[in-house]
Amino acid sequence: MGFDNKFDPKLNRRDILKGSIAVVGAAAALGLPFSSALAKGFPDQNIKIYIPTRAGGGADRLNRAVTSVWKKYLKTNFENSFFPGAAGRVGYEKYMGLAKDDGHELLFGNMGPEVLNWVVKAPTFDLNKFKYFAQIDADPGVIFVSRKSKFKTIDDVIAAAKKKTLNVGVSRLAHPATLGVMALARQAGAKLNAIPLSGGKNTYAGVATGEMDLGALPSGGVIKRSKNFKILLMMSHKNPLPSKTENAPTLNDHFKMSMPSLVAGARAYGIKTSAISDHGANFRKLEETLKKTISDPEFKKAYQKTKAPWEYVRYRGPEEAAVYAKGIAQIGKEFKELLSGKKS
Amino acid sequence: MEMEYDFAFFGEMFFRTFSLWWVILPAIFLGLVVGAIPGFSAANTIIILLPMTLAMDPEIGLTFMVALYASSRMGAGIPAILVNIPGTAGAAATPLDGYPMTKNGRGQQALAMSFTASIAGGLLTTVIALFSLPWLSQIAYYLHSVEMIVIMFFGISLIATIAAKDTLKGLIAGFFGLMIGFIGTDVVYETPRGTFGFLELYDKVPLIPALVGLFAVSEAFAIIENRSIVSENGLSTMKKSSWAKTFEGVRIAGTKWWHIIWNSLIGLIIGVVPGAGAAIASFVAYQQSKTFSKTPELYGTGHVEGLIAPESANNGVTSGTLVPLLVIGIPGGATAAIMLVVLQFHGVTVGPDLFMTSPELAFGPFMAMAVTYALMIIMVLPLARYMSNITVVSTVYMAPIIIAFTLVGSFVPRAYLFDMNLALIFGVIGYVARKTGYHVAAILIGVILGPLMETYFLRALRMSEGDIMVIFSSSIGNTLWVFLIISMALPYIIEKRRNKDVTIVTND
Repeated sequence: MGFDNKFDPKLNRRDILKGSIAVVGAAAALGLPFSSALAKGFPDQNIKIYIPTRAGGGADRLNRAVTSVWKKYLKTNFENSFFPGAAGRVGYEKYMGLAKDDGHELLFGNMGPEVLNWVVKAPTFDLNKFKYFAQIDADPGVIFVSRKSKFKTIDDVIAAAKKKTLNVGVSRLAHPATLGVMALARQAGAKLNAIPLSGGKNTYAGVATGEMDLGALPSGGVIKRSKNFKILLMMSHKNPLPSKTENAPTLNDHFKMSMPSLVAGARAYGIKTSAISDHGANFRKLEETLKKTISDPEFKKAYQKTKAPWEYVRYRGPEEAAVYAKGIAQIGKEFKELLSGKKS
Repeated sequence: MEMEYDFAFFGEMFFRTFSLWWVILPAIFLGLVVGAIPGFSAANTIIILLPMTLAMDPEIGLTFMVALYASSRMGAGIPAILVNIPGTAGAAATPLDGYPMTKNGRGQQALAMSFTASIAGGLLTTVIALFSLPWLSQIAYYLHSVEMIVIMFFGISLIATIAAKDTLKGLIAGFFGLMIGFIGTDVVYETPRGTFGFLELYDKVPLIPALVGLFAVSEAFAIIENRSIVSENGLSTMKKSSWAKTFEGVRIAGTKWWHIIWNSLIGLIIGVVPGAGAAIASFVAYQQSKTFSKTPELYGTGHVEGLIAPESANNGVTSGTLVPLLVIGIPGGATAAIMLVVLQFHGVTVGPDLFMTSPELAFGPFMAMAVTYALMIIMVLPLARYMSNITVVSTVYMAPIIIAFTLVGSFVPRAYLFDMNLALIFGVIGYVARKTGYHVAAILIGVILGPLMETYFLRALRMSEGDIMVIFSSSIGNTLWVFLIISMALPYIIEKRRNKDVTIVTND
């Protein structure tokens, strides 16, 4: 240990960097043989799922429930990669830019907010090159309050919002549940101020701690937390779960409106269209096994462990998913100025 | 929330948790390792190990995750002290005084002090959290966006404190950091700003590459100018490395017991607020510590209080983040969010009812944390003597290893090659800053706290429909403003009085 502290002229920063890159390269090369699978047929390696939101969110939980059973039918494992940022935009752009199109790489996102995001600002990729092929759930948006709130009904909210502005916590502005809030404010002449809180977790926190007067999110999470929150209004045509929502009224019935059903949670698997056209057999296998997965009692068990309502789960194919995406984009265009801040 | 439990219940819980030592010990070891390597945080390690924890009994899985979480927090301080590389953003304030101690050959004592402060702070806040859950959970009801803006200012004002020796350079570095922190999409309309078209910057400048670049890569560039990290004088001190030095470190930290209590409580309170975190807590603690210190001029030179403050605060945060998760079902941070996934997978609904229906799961995480900290006393403290020897390894080996490890670490959280390049760019910025007298910590404070500050500020502005006076609209916020002004003015007043006293004495 007894050396002097002088500069060694033989070593410069370039050498240090070269040495470091060599160490990283060697480590990567050592890892390579372990990642290549030897199995034949599709899938011959793990299936990678791109999730455009953070780990621990609704999409993560639902995807884990699905893939815990789907792997049984595909006889392979799933790798989840999370690409949060810019309301899902990063995940989709990464998927379209990086993913292989042989069926081994899929995307799992929430169609509503992500399609609305494209309405506000078009993505850099061609939308015709991406397709949702399997919608797993349809969870309507709701307006809810904390159990400690002074508001007991949606009429209490509207009466108060006619006198002063109420703050409504939302996951993000470009979200079907936010559209419901905006539509309600317009119809009832109420002053409802949507505050984007960057995700459901923060929205629950905002409403629970009283910083927000009310919140608007997909109903499943609110029902799970019904000890702390009360649903005041459903954004669907009919209330699909009257017993679990204290018979909350619907937007259209209660306010004599004709809004389309605002499904705020519409989680779906997506794929590059080139994977469908160039590797049709692989795609068909994905579709068939996913259908079996959704009707498998094991999946029901895994899903129910997340405490989300099973009634919202139903397999919908590419055509139905496309109809939903088109519908939500249409409503988004109507409110585009509000969503993009060009009008307040 | 009604909770009536006696000491017998907590005693039984403690021994029940202690019987899980076979889960806790490997988790501590793993936590220390992943905490010490930048990029390998507790959150992403828990994600990687999810298949394993999901397969465990929920109580065992939760104990494993909590032990890993608590020990990773302590692990992050080790490289911060020894090689000026904070393992996580929560340890970013640790090297301010920890690393100068190492350079002076007091790395072993610094580690012992840091471990003592972390263990004592963590243990204390865990016990406090355990017995005051119903009251602690109320904090989140009072600290909203407006109040958080002021708390952010406590942290950001540290830039001015750091800049005390060269105000202009310090402020330039701080503003530069804030500008970097504002890169990314805005929190209201998701509009990208200053991203130069890079998709990888849409979700803000990633913290780990910034942290790694500014501290580790620039440090690696700098240390190759010498044969070892430790100075000439320090080397002679290092040679006399002994167990006594570890005990000396523990003793010195023990004399600062009030400091540990105060700063760990700051950590606990900030930890309870969902979305706040260890980085804010450690900067706020450092700033408060310096403000009320009798020897503020020693901060930044290897001062004991400057090391103890951030370490006890960031360990105080650990138990704080579990409070909103278990009491209101809302995770206080990323690691807590992953824990929620595991609990939900097992069909456990968190919230007030959990304390009635499954008290072993509700109180279990706090007990696991207490047992973890207790076990770390015997597991970690003896390591200080051996760990400190790393600082005398020749820089010929150290520099490439630091760069290689930290570049891999900067890649891990998002798996973007872009982040490795970003770490190198920050490394060059950090190196130039060091050579030209700009403080890298001031840049980092801006990068870490800037986006959080912006989030709370924009949220408050939107809630008030654009009224800037909203920042003075809350009585708690206004009280905090007064404290902020006092804490910023106090050092100048004290110094002025001291100078006056010195002048009087000299004249006499």
